[in-house]
Amino acid sequence: MSTLASTVEEPPRLKQRWWPLATAILVVASLLVASIAIGVYDITADDFGGELVWITRVPRTLALVLAGAALATSGLVMQMLTQNRFVDATTSGTTEWAALGLLLSALLLPDLGLVGKMVVASCFAFVGAMLFMLILNRVVIRTTLVVPLIGIMLGAVVSAATTFIAAQFNLLQMLGTWFMGSFTAVTRGRYEVLWVVAIVTLLVFLLADRITVAGLGKDVATSVGLNYRAILYSGTALVAIAAGVTVVVVGFLPLLGLVVPNIVSMIRGDHVRANLPWVALGGIALVTVCDIIGRVIIRPFEVPVSMVLGLVGAVVFITLLLRRQRG
Amino acid sequence: MTRFLSPKSAVRGVTSVALVLGAALLLSACSGGGPANDEKSADATTVTITDNHGKVEVPVNPKTVVALDNTSFDTLSAWDVDLAAVPKGVMGSVWPEYTDDEKVIDVGNHREPNLEAIVAAQPDLIIGGYRFGDYYDEIKKQNPQAVVIEIAPREGEDVFAELERQTEILGQIFDREDDAKALNDKLEAAMADAKTAYNGTDTVMAVNTSAGKIGYIAPETGRALGPVFPALGWVPALEVEGGTSNHKGDDISVEAIADSNPDWIVALDRDAAFAVEDREAGSAPATELISNAEALKNVTAVKDGHIVILDANFYLTEGIQAYTELFKQLGTAFSAK
Repeated sequence: MSTLASTVEEPPRLKQRWWPLATAILVVASLLVASIAIGVYDITADDFGGELVWITRVPRTLALVLAGAALATSGLVMQMLTQNRFVDATTSGTTEWAALGLLLSALLLPDLGLVGKMVVASCFAFVGAMLFMLILNRVVIRTTLVVPLIGIMLGAVVSAATTFIAAQFNLLQMLGTWFMGSFTAVTRGRYEVLWVVAIVTLLVFLLADRITVAGLGKDVATSVGLNYRAILYSGTALVAIAAGVTVVVVGFLPLLGLVVPNIVSMIRGDHVRANLPWVALGGIALVTVCDIIGRVIIRPFEVPVSMVLGLVGAVVFITLLLRRQRG
Repeated sequence: MTRFLSPKSAVRGVTSVALVLGAALLLSACSGGGPANDEKSADATTVTITDNHGKVEVPVNPKTVVALDNTSFDTLSAWDVDLAAVPKGVMGSVWPEYTDDEKVIDVGNHREPNLEAIVAAQPDLIIGGYRFGDYYDEIKKQNPQAVVIEIAPREGEDVFAELERQTEILGQIFDREDDAKALNDKLEAAMADAKTAYNGTDTVMAVNTSAGKIGYIAPETGRALGPVFPALGWVPALEVEGGTSNHKGDDISVEAIADSNPDWIVALDRDAAFAVEDREAGSAPATELISNAEALKNVTAVKDGHIVILDANFYLTEGIQAYTELFKQLGTAFSAK
């Protein structure tokens, strides 16, 4: 199946293939340089400025790369597995489950370190994502809109529970700050755990073809000899880890995993393996641009990246919806 | 009737009447007896006060009191005022005599209050406002028999003058005017000391910390610490150009703090009240967050150890006693350098 697809699609692309990608890499690289260059402290002013680059700027930029790539690619995975374009960690309730896990681990196991909290959050995210898939399997009407609606509803229920627990323990204010997606607090020593999601992104690349086949549905996948269940579970686990880890380190990054894969497939058509580098680069670019905007508009203060991302994401999301309705 | 009155108790009755009369005479003599004094004299049953909405007649020493305003609890507690209902959800463990007493009805927290709990208490006086300001009309409508007052500091007014006004009004209502004056004097003294301790030139930055993030508290307008800037004449390390109320608790990067290089950092730790017992004595997330930040190691405040962390319960108390303690703390810190 995949060999057929590649023999059909690849020849005309071969010639121009590396050009656009190289340009995209250059664009993203310059965004990252800009991200390192932009900040409140004048890094050229004194010796400490140079040191500060390594204390705050580089870690922040690396965190943007890691979170952006992981969330965008895991969004793509989720869309393949559910066979729906409007699903990602935020519209399937997965991030809300991660948040619930984080809150519970902070309440019940306060001594748990960052890594422990991440494990708990990821486990909750996995349970949430699986629950979403289970419910989807039982829903008869699976139109484009019903699927994300189910996810958003599930997420709302879970976040209501989270809010209730937080209210009981007087943690509402903390909850707000905690899950507000923001890279402001990312400094050396406080982002390194994000490297876990680099592994997630790598695994997504490795499993790309299998996920594509699984995306054709259980029957097709099984008939070409794929262990559908194994791919379903491992794909969901990857999404859950990406969601869990980023929620713990930076908070909610809404719609990132939804917007980027959709834009890429609109421009380039559907070919998971070939699109993956584009999705990863797009995720990095979008989150970096939003973060730079957030850093610049009310200098020396910052607007959380989630706010900018939510705004940009919502506009793109609605545009996509309208386009598809018409088509 | 007189049959039942023994000579002994008759004598006791007469003496007590005489005592009360004497006391009343003494009191009126002491206070000079002006015309305004009529409504406040010892045997008056009501007093007219001006709350945030206008003139209200309030019973003196009302029998059943409901208080919803956190800034009033310290005073009420100090004066042993019994409360029939309180919002236990926003009181932490600061006032156990109210929160741990099962006879005190729980109004919940201001986000999801149980206003019927107030009705159930059948109060004569409701001290509302502050976090419960939005429910003023509703509470008034539901409790026609009660006097509803709001005496928390008003927006846009000088917080400290407002706290003194509040204390004064409470003093009139609970017939504790001398105690009220003592509280006000203490605040002023602590404020004056803190002002003297400040050298007039050091730059100060106020921040709040929550969930590992540092927020910026704007001088004058910011929560809790904003009003302290004009009161003590602090020089802000970082000023918001143009913005007044917009930047009350903005995200601020450690870089921006490093860049403004404050001589002092004063922090409101919003998570401090959380799991205090789990933490080692003397340690607070805010201290760790600020002192251990690599990017802040060259900041004067960090190098000199000029970091003041507010009392863990400050965001719950916020009353005149809380600010008096804060000014004392600041006075000690700033004079110790």
